[in-house]
Amino acid sequence: MIIAIVLIFLLSNDPSRTIYYFFIGPFTNRYYLGNLLNSAIPLVFSGLGIAVAFSSSAFNLGGEGQVYAGALVTTAVCLALPNANGLAGGIAAIIAGTAVGGILAGISGYFKMKWNADLLISSFLISAAAVLIVNFFITGPMDDPASSLLSTPKIADQYRLLRIFKPSKLDISILFALLAAVAVYSFMYHTRRGYEMRMCGLNPEFARYGGVNTKTYVVLPMVLSGALHGLGGGLVVTGTHHMALKEFTFGVGWNGIAVALIAKNHPLGVIPAALFFAYLEAGAKAAMLHSDVTFEIASIIQSVIFYLVTAQAIFSFVRNKGRENA
Amino acid sequence: MSGDFSLPVVHNAVGIMAPFLLAAVGGLFTELAGMLNIALEGLMLIGAFSSVVFASATGSLFLGVLFGILSSVLIAYLFGFVSLKLKANVFISGLATNLLASGLTVVLAFKLFGSKGVIQFPDAPRLPVLSIPALQRVPLLGDLFIGHNVLVYFSWIFLVLAAVVIYKTPFGLRIRATGHDSSTVESVGLKPSRYQMEAILVSGFACGAAGSMLTLNLQAFVPNITSGRGWIALVVIYLGNKKPLGILIASFVFGCAESISNYAQGFINIPADFILAFPYIITVIAMVGYSAVRHYRAKKV
Repeated sequence: MIIAIVLIFLLSNDPSRTIYYFFIGPFTNRYYLGNLLNSAIPLVFSGLGIAVAFSSSAFNLGGEGQVYAGALVTTAVCLALPNANGLAGGIAAIIAGTAVGGILAGISGYFKMKWNADLLISSFLISAAAVLIVNFFITGPMDDPASSLLSTPKIADQYRLLRIFKPSKLDISILFALLAAVAVYSFMYHTRRGYEMRMCGLNPEFARYGGVNTKTYVVLPMVLSGALHGLGGGLVVTGTHHMALKEFTFGVGWNGIAVALIAKNHPLGVIPAALFFAYLEAGAKAAMLHSDVTFEIASIIQSVIFYLVTAQAIFSFVRNKGRENA
Repeated sequence: MSGDFSLPVVHNAVGIMAPFLLAAVGGLFTELAGMLNIALEGLMLIGAFSSVVFASATGSLFLGVLFGILSSVLIAYLFGFVSLKLKANVFISGLATNLLASGLTVVLAFKLFGSKGVIQFPDAPRLPVLSIPALQRVPLLGDLFIGHNVLVYFSWIFLVLAAVVIYKTPFGLRIRATGHDSSTVESVGLKPSRYQMEAILVSGFACGAAGSMLTLNLQAFVPNITSGRGWIALVVIYLGNKKPLGILIASFVFGCAESISNYAQGFINIPADFILAFPYIITVIAMVGYSAVRHYRAKKV
């Protein structure tokens, strides 16, 4: 925090204004606050997806491709059914996007189960290929010729989720995000399957001796993880953008990993972690619009905060200091 | 494919692969020391920026590359300090390093040159190209290996050096031991974090050189000029099975893919995205196939 403020003093000609907008800006009006909450939604989903994988015995480095592919497929289904019933068609589209995410990650899980192929590598590579292929569809066959953006046409009105906090882009999918976190939490901590999954993560040998079929628990967490990513991607389309743009979910997959790590892989911890991430992003945008700093400076400040956020040494140092004083 | 078409493609591939090779060999050290180094991208970007700026300011190619490497090592030190001394999560501090690099380069570019877009450095010295006319006439060899810039040859030397260091020196052994089981290193009275830090600095060195190649070739800096090359270097490490020879082959594969996609845009009607996706798909198939073979072999025994 102090370092961030020092940086702002160094880089800005009007530091107090910059500091104000960076830290307080996101809360000054409905538009900023709503958009802050809105940008946390995909992070909640990818954070949950990663938390599920990491707290089991699975590793998913392919979130980037899973979110992007989920978003594309959801868009494609919506575009293919321009006149369908909003609810039924919308659910079908979201399910399709979720399924694609699940399949992409599930492939890695299957290879791991069948032949012990490294999950980190295969999920990362499959996702990297998926990103390029999605790029191809968005800039090629599905490109909207009427628009100068590298994007698909907009989806029909009946698929667009209700905006609940105008004029911001916040829509009802924030409720889905909260529900998803609670659902993942209850599954992981209050069902037998969830318990067995976590047991495989903590100690696979112990789980195997306890009669758990450890092999299934490689595929299941991967599918769940990919599905959550795909779902997040789908909701970004129906909730926020109403179309798929080239690389519009860029970074969600990687940031989801950071969110899950900050949350220590706890599903409910993912919500504040995602909000924290979104807050930094929103602060950067507000500071950029209202003072003389650029978005890039904001990203430097963001990076400093990330450096320190998981720095355990600092926390324990502060804690020890506190104890000495007490 | 006719001979006069495929040779320039492969010749270009040999040039294109060099930054992947350098960054991947640097990343190999951190990988062997047991850290997933996702900061390769950011370190390359820092090297790319400062090398061209210093080369243009000093008029010396050597100083440019040197400063490119130094600034990348400096940021690598910061990354290592936060990860090892402050015990931050390596993944998050790596992500932060990439953010820092992309922000810092643009901010500095704007402060120094008043532009956030492409910045030309026409007065920056060009990377000298090795040309040996006598050897160039040798078929195949001359076509493929002669006529690249000096950093391409540097990347080969660096690969060989790295292989020697990793497998033949106590330092390399300790790095590998740290990644394999850090408690063994501790049990003989050595500090694993010291070797991890040194591995990070080596990756900074290599990424600095890799980055300087990108900008010095162009005599220009473009924001985020690395455009994912650091990530590909990470893939190259895995694809190469964390071995120097494997990394050489893997970066050649990526070099070819990029080179073919550059050429194909003018010739064949295959979208570039598909060609670029190709190495990933092949790698997955190769990796899974390899695992399957190993799996069935283990079963037979």
